[in-house]
Formats: sequence, structure tokens, C-alpha cells
Amino acid sequence: MDNLHPLESKVLLALTRQPDSPPTLDHLAESTGLEPSQLSMAVEWLLAKSLIAVHAETVAHIASLTTIGEVFFEKYSPIERVLSAARDAGQTGKRLTIQDIQAKEALEPSDVSKAVGTLKKEGAILIVQGGCIESTGRNSATAEAMRALLQELRSGPREQQAFPEPLRNVLQQHAVKRGNAREPFRIDERVTRSFLLTPDGQEVAQQLSCDGVPEEVSQLTPELLKEGAWRTKRFRKYTISLRAPRIAAGKRHPYREFLDLVKLKLVSMGFQEMRGTLVETEFWNMDALFMPQFHPARDIHDVYFVKDPTHAPAIAEPYLTQVMQVHEQGTGAGSTGWGYTFDAERAKRLVLRSQGTAVSARTLAAGASVPGKYFSIARCFRYDQVDATHATDFFQVEGIVAGSDINFRTLLGLLNLFAREVAQAKEVKFLPAYFPFTEPSVEMHVRHPKLGWMELGGAGLFRPEVTTPLGVSVPVIAWGLGLDRMAMVALGIHDIRDLFSTDLEFIRTMRGNF
Amino acid sequence: MPTISLQRDDLEALIAGPGEEPSRIPLDQLEQWLMLVKGELKGHNSDTGELRIELQDSNRPDLWCCEGIARQIRIKRQGKASAYPFFTKQQRVAGKLVVAPGLDKIRPYVAACTAVGYRVTASGLTQLIQTQEKLADIFGRKRRSVSIGLYRLAPIVFPVSYDLVKPDDVRFTPLGMETMMTLREILMVHPKGVEYGNIVSGHDQLPVLRDAKGQVLSFPPIINSREIGEVQVGDHELFVEVTGIDLWMVALTLNIFAANLADRGAVISPVEIQSPVKTTFGRRWSTPIDFGAPRTIPLDAIESALGEALGAKEVSAALKSYGYMVKSAGRKVAVQLPPYRNDLLHTVDVVEDVAISQGYARFAPVMPSQFTVGGLSRLEQMADRVRHLMVGLEFQEIISNIMGSQQDFCGKMRLEGTEWAKVVEVDNVMSLNYSCLRQWITPSLLQVETNSSRAFYPHRIFEVGEVAVPDRSADVGSRTVTMLGAVIAHAGAHFSEIHSCLDLLLYYLDRPFTLEPVAHPSFLDGRAGTIVSNGQAIGLLGELHPEVLEHWQIGVPAVALELEIDRLLGEV
Repeated sequence: MDNLHPLESKVLLALTRQPDSPPTLDHLAESTGLEPSQLSMAVEWLLAKSLIAVHAETVAHIASLTTIGEVFFEKYSPIERVLSAARDAGQTGKRLTIQDIQAKEALEPSDVSKAVGTLKKEGAILIVQGGCIESTGRNSATAEAMRALLQELRSGPREQQAFPEPLRNVLQQHAVKRGNAREPFRIDERVTRSFLLTPDGQEVAQQLSCDGVPEEVSQLTPELLKEGAWRTKRFRKYTISLRAPRIAAGKRHPYREFLDLVKLKLVSMGFQEMRGTLVETEFWNMDALFMPQFHPARDIHDVYFVKDPTHAPAIAEPYLTQVMQVHEQGTGAGSTGWGYTFDAERAKRLVLRSQGTAVSARTLAAGASVPGKYFSIARCFRYDQVDATHATDFFQVEGIVAGSDINFRTLLGLLNLFAREVAQAKEVKFLPAYFPFTEPSVEMHVRHPKLGWMELGGAGLFRPEVTTPLGVSVPVIAWGLGLDRMAMVALGIHDIRDLFSTDLEFIRTMRGNF
Repeated sequence: MPTISLQRDDLEALIAGPGEEPSRIPLDQLEQWLMLVKGELKGHNSDTGELRIELQDSNRPDLWCCEGIARQIRIKRQGKASAYPFFTKQQRVAGKLVVAPGLDKIRPYVAACTAVGYRVTASGLTQLIQTQEKLADIFGRKRRSVSIGLYRLAPIVFPVSYDLVKPDDVRFTPLGMETMMTLREILMVHPKGVEYGNIVSGHDQLPVLRDAKGQVLSFPPIINSREIGEVQVGDHELFVEVTGIDLWMVALTLNIFAANLADRGAVISPVEIQSPVKTTFGRRWSTPIDFGAPRTIPLDAIESALGEALGAKEVSAALKSYGYMVKSAGRKVAVQLPPYRNDLLHTVDVVEDVAISQGYARFAPVMPSQFTVGGLSRLEQMADRVRHLMVGLEFQEIISNIMGSQQDFCGKMRLEGTEWAKVVEVDNVMSLNYSCLRQWITPSLLQVETNSSRAFYPHRIFEVGEVAVPDRSADVGSRTVTMLGAVIAHAGAHFSEIHSCLDLLLYYLDRPFTLEPVAHPSFLDGRAGTIVSNGQAIGLLGELHPEVLEHWQIGVPAVALELEIDRLLGEV
């Protein structure tokens, strides 16, 4: 009894009110006022619990029009059209063949031959020499029955039994059957069941009518708590297997979460964050990094130049002079230099920062601590067409390590640490590489659990032509990590543009696996 | 840097060396050896035998060819380089090349040699042409600094002259054409003339190479003569010439070609250059020329940079097997680069070659031992605090591109012609969609709104990111500011919603503020305010103007907040 759903209670009580004539679903719908879906749900539950039983089951055959029937009503059925065509021909004296009818009326050959067969059998037409059709002037019972049925059923479905015998035959002949869907009528079986209470059901119903149906509550309210009224209430049980309604969370962007994690790792390894500016001079973006002014990567096709102002007013001394001298003659750095004439005006040209190493160069000049470890996650810009692997601007994770203990082997040691801490990689490979500002230079490859061997980053020891003019006398590691591919794997995306998606639904549902 | 195509058989034959039986080299072995040249195997076609290799080092043009890669590997396998006689011994010159006065103003330098005894094969010719193109294009900066010509030697009568002529005075049939053309016609009509003409145009006289009979060899750096300057399969006597504007680059390029042809079995004979002006090499010199000089390096410098006490013996062996000439004495080594290289600027360049020659695996990684304190900048710390509070206020974080269009950052925001429309613009615009840097965050967030009308509402989104604010007083003409932008959008979005967020945010950050009404075109009049804290404007908030929403095709009301995080820092 506790388990009775309120819907079930309603049906049980309705059944006790009609003990003599077992009601059908239609009757019950009327007496309970329930929706058909709710009612059939409750009835099925009660049947399953054996509280009610089926008293009787009657099957009625209901006839209705198909969509083809609707068309026939408007435009007449094949048999009507064949008959009418034959009569027209008789009046005009034209000879009419079956082919003529097919062509004129645009009917299926099978429909025409079926109609002709029936009409001939009924004596409404004759087939004369040459396969021509002539009207006899007699009526066709089938054609008339067809019209009557189309007319009757157009106003709504009717029980088949309601039609007289001849019409019923036509109805059955022209009803949709398996394998022939092109018919004007459909006959559906409708099962009508009536129900009565079982002895168990009577007992429960009895109890119900004595105790009354307990009031059902869906939401506990402060009032119910305050007055203690909840004690007499029944709390509706929820269907908890349904999917929860969607809500939106306040949350970090998954790519930013990834970068935050990288930030945390770097800080925990003893790196201090540095920041720079989106717009840089060519001096800090390239000259200070010993990239000669004729270097191919300094071309108009690789860097974005700023329109206004085009140049910085000045480059801080003594850096300008020292960098110029090291480019020209290697002065002070034990180098031969590049042996060209340095253009100080070119150094002031403003560009959009194209590499994070510019931030490192500024940090060195500003007096980096020794020993010191630094990193930046810097937005950089490259003059590239935007596509699945190139974004207009992107984050570069890079930095420096300065110290008297820095050499090629400690460089490899540091890269090992990155591989382990940032990429969780157990296997590492070091390959010779080329960067304009480091020597020796290394490319680090790691074995990623999903991607296999991949390049994780590049690094090297800053050339003395970079460090000396900036006033640094200890060896300095410069390093950069390429993390976008790792981020894309962690976020399950394949297009770099998706890291900067503008689709809120996508951002809300994207999640990281890192 | 360049990616080159070569034939596996050809590479294997060159690695084995002249007269040796080549053996099949497994690809994984080849990949190992490619570390010696900073090369990466990009592709292999097992049907055609083609290998595609990318070379990284822009200072080693000698490696941008099959011969150079094979040479570096061969030397490593043999333990030392076998010397090229034309660099080390006095050779009989094949002829003279006389430079006319006045070329110093256009294209001053030339180098040349002859190569006899190598019968050009089809794949050899492909390689020669590829090397010619890569060197002229990348090392020679699209022929501006260096260009190269290859000729059949037989028809050439020495001395060859490098002359200056008037554009209409000389006619010859250029490669790729059927008829004689003047230099002026070549510049106007010939595809190479159109492509490279700007290198020499603007001069009333143009360079031309002719032999003693007056036959034109070429019009450098544009095009060769069709009669003499078209090397074909089967030719076995060649003349090679390099012209350019840098004496060292010209000499180096010829040295590379001489070494390459010698590696293929040719006997190289020098050509004597006669210059009207004195150069570093004097008035007369022969090319190829070994212009290198020994450099003495303390062993300590190498050992301390590598962090490994290798000793003189290992350092010498490593460098010899990388092609250097080495003499060691005590704790010093005197090293000299082979003549096809000119990339020794500093001791560190030698250090790297030692490491590459020995293989990076030779050096055991060691952790840096010095202690350092890690930490975030104050700005980043404040940015993170703001981000965490915004997440608590149930906003979804967004990351946007900083580059965009003026249309988005100003036009759609109704800012055109106002003080708020100042942005950092790019000079060399590639696409109008990416022509400037954002000066505030709100347009980035409205872009999200435009594309997200089907995401269920309410929308609460924010971004903490950098913007560029033009500022003549800043040393780079603009300030990079870290900014918070936030937008709330839904059918009932209201000023007070975003106001409450700001109120709570600045309460937790302990920055008391007031709002001062502002007439900002992006917002509805009377529903926008400047955020003032401690007497300083630190941001902006308001209800977005319906026209702005229309421009962005946003169908619900939206309110926005913009706050300068840099200005929240204050004094410590």
C-alpha cells in the first residue's frame, strides 16, 4: 500500500465506484480525469501487481482513409476514372484502348487493368475488337461502393461492421495489406479491454477509501518544516534515473588550466616569472639575440611591423652600442662578429613580438639574478597564414637559466627535468639543433604516451655575443618548450584554432585530461 | 631552412667515396648520421629511391646538398678529412678572369674554376642544379648576395672578362628563349629578368661575362647564355663561376662547388681573378681559395663549456673526424675550418662541433645545482586572484586572439573617430581580419556571443588577457596592459547584475571604488560608468548599446565590465 503511486490510487478508487460494469480505458479516463499516457501507465502497474485483472477483451476493426484515399476522394479512384473515360468515349465516338486510358489519366498499368477487369465482370464495359473499350451504359456496383466509402470515411474512421455487406467487401479488397501500400483504405484492429478489481485489489481499494489518499508533496518547504506538517505528508518519489538538467559552471578555460599547470611546475622548479610587451623593438626581438640584420627570418614576410609609430625614440645605452659592436666586429665577446655595418635605425623599428626570447633578453639586460632561473608564457605573433597548425598569435613558453655551474651537461640535465616534470616523459633524446642565438643548441624529443616521439622543445647556451653586450658574464641557458601539441592532445582537439575557440558550447563542454 | 631532395643510391655512393663499393645504408642508421649535419629525414620514397632531408643550420650552406651531407658522414667514418689538392697545393691555372673597372658599384666580386673528368649523369645534374638554386636563393638571398653559373668549358676561350656594358649593346640567346635578346630586352621580357631584374636595375651599365672571342657566357645574376651556359648530361668539362656583393660569400660558394665536383670525381683547376681594385685577397688571386686561418683555443674553454674533461686527444680526434685541421700543443688546440666552411665566429662554434662529432649521447646530463627561488610576478598573482574570483562568480573563462580587426575592436563598438578607437596597427597587413591589436577585451567576448546564440543562457563569460594601448610616452609606443573583461548576456541581463559582480570583486580585493557616469558610445547613455578607485580611473562598465548588439548580431541584452588589473596593484 505504501508503494502505491498516486496514479494507481486514483484508478483503484475509480474501479470501486463501478463494481457492476467493468469499465474500459475510455471510461476510466473519464472517471479519473487522467491523461491517456498516465492512465495506461497506472493500469499496467496495477496489472503487474495483480491488483486488477482484465475482465473482457474485444477486438474491433476500424476503417479509415489512407493518404491515397484522400487523393481518390478529390480526384476519383482508378475504377471511377476508367468508367468515366469509357462513357466519354462512347459519347464522342472515339475509339479507346487501355493504353489510351493509361496515357490520358496517367495511371499505373496495374491499376487500369484491375479496374478494367472489375468493370468488365460487372458488365459496365465491353472489350471489342482491337482491344478497344466501350461503355455498356450499365452502372458499376464497385465504382459506386468506392465512392460511398470514400465519402463516408472522409468524415472520420468508422467501425467496419457499420457498413453493409457489399461495401464491406469492397473495403476489404481495397484496404492496405502487406506488400500493397497503394490502397485508399486502412483497417486497424482496436483492442478494448475492461477491467475489474482482483480480491487483493478490492482489499487495497477498501483500505484506500477508508484512510483516504495521503496528500502528496513534491517539495519540502520552510513552512512544512516550521509547523512539523511534513510528518503527515507523503513525498513523491522521483525517477532518479532521468538525466540531470544541464547547468553551466563558472570555470577556468581548459587551455588556461593547462597553462596554469605548466606555470605551477615551473615555479615549483625554482623559476621566476618575467613579463614583456606585445610590441617590441627589432633590437630586443632580434639584434640583442645576435640575429644579423640580414638574417632571412627578419624579412618582411616573417614579422609584423607596427604602422605608427614605426620606430622607438631610442634604444637604451650602453646596450645599443655594445650590441652594434658585437654584430660588426664581435667586440668584447671574443668573436669575429658578422662583419657588416649595423643599422641603428633598423634596431628601433617596432614589431609585434615574434619570439618569447625577447623577454629573456630584456631580463638579462635589466640585471638578472645569478644564479637565476626565469620563465615567461608570452604571446607571440608570426606572419603566417592562419590554418589548423598556425594561429595568428600563440603562447610561447620560454626562459633562461644563468649560473656559474651552467654548461652543456647541466643544459641536458635541465631538459631532462622538463621532460619528466612537464611532459611526464620517461624517455628523452637530444639532437643537435640550430638557433641563431645559442651554441651548442639542442632539440629535445620525448616519448609521449599517446603521440610517440615528439619534439618537446629547443634549448642551448646563449652565445657570448648575446650575453656579453647585455652585461652578463656567466653562462646562460636559453630554453623554449613547444606545448601546444601536448595541450591539444590533453584537450582532445585537432585544430590549433580551437584553443582560442569562440563557441561557448564548445568551451563549456571541453575538458582536459592532464 | 632548406629541404632538399636526393637519391639514396647517389648518397650511398658519395658516402663510400670515389673508387669504393657503396653499401646499402639502413634508414635508421642514416637518421643517426644525419645528426652530424643537423638534418632530419622528412620523407623516403622506396619506389624512386628519393630521400627528402631538411637541414637546419643556416650558417652551413655546404650541407645543403647531397655531396656535403655525404662528406660530413664520410669524414666521420674515416676519422679525418682527405685534403683537396686545389686548396693545399699550387695548381696550374686553367685561365684568367679579368674584372672590369666600375663593377664595384654593382656586383664587385667573382670567383671561378674549371672541373674536368666528371661525366655529368642525370641525377648528378639534378643535384648540381638544386645546389645552385638553394645556395643562390637562401644563402645568396634570392641571388642578391650570391649567384652561380655553370657552363660547358669546351667552347670557352680564356681569358674570360667580367664586364660592364650598356643594356642595348650586347645581345645573346638566353636559356629558355629561341632568339637573340639585348640585356634590356631580357630584363623586360625574360621570366628570370622580370624576377631578378631589380638586383641590377637602376644602373646605366650592366654586368656581363664574355670570353676572349666575345661570346657571352651570361648576364649575372639573371640568366646564362643558351649556347655555352646549358650543361647537359654527358658533359665532362665544366666551367663554374660565382658573382656577388660579398667577397667571402662569393669565395665560399665557389669552394663548396669545387669540393662537390671533386667529390664526384672531377679534377678542379683554379682560375686567376684579376681585379682593377685592391681587395682583401689583393689584385690577383686564384679561386678556389682557402681563406681560413688557424685559431688557437685553450682546451679549458672547450672543456668548461661542455662540462666534461675530454682531454686534448679526444678533442683533436673529435674535430678531425668533423673535418677540421687540428694541431694540439699542451692545453691548447689550433683549429682551422675546411675551406668549404666559414662559420667560426667564436670558440663556442668549435665547442658545438666537438659535441656533435662525439654525439650528444656522449655527455651525461647533470642537474644544475645552484639554488633559486621560484615565483610569479605581482601582476600575474593579481591576475590569478581576479580569475579565481570571477570563476566563483560563475563566469566561464575565455581565451581569445589578441590580433584582430579595427572593424571588430572599434567599428562594431561605435568607437570610430573617438579617443577610444586608438589601436596598435600593423604595417604589413596579411589579412584585414588581423590588422591590429585589441585595445580592450569586450569585443573578444562579444565575438563569443555572436557565435554562441545556441548555447543555453544565461551567458557569463570573462577573459583576463593582454591588450595594447597606444601611448607615445612608452618606450615602444604602446603599453601592454593586463585587463579583465566580463560580459553577462541573457534575456534579462541588467546593469545591476554586472555592477554587483564588480562590487563583490573589488570588495574582496579591498579596493573601494565609485562609479562616475560616462558617455561612452558602446554603452547606453546613462547606463555606463567609469570605475574610479583611489582617485584613478581603473575601468568601465555598462549596458551595451543596442546598435552594438546589432552589429555583432547578438539577440539578447548584454552588460560588460572592463578592469585594468595593472592598476589594482598599487604600492606594496
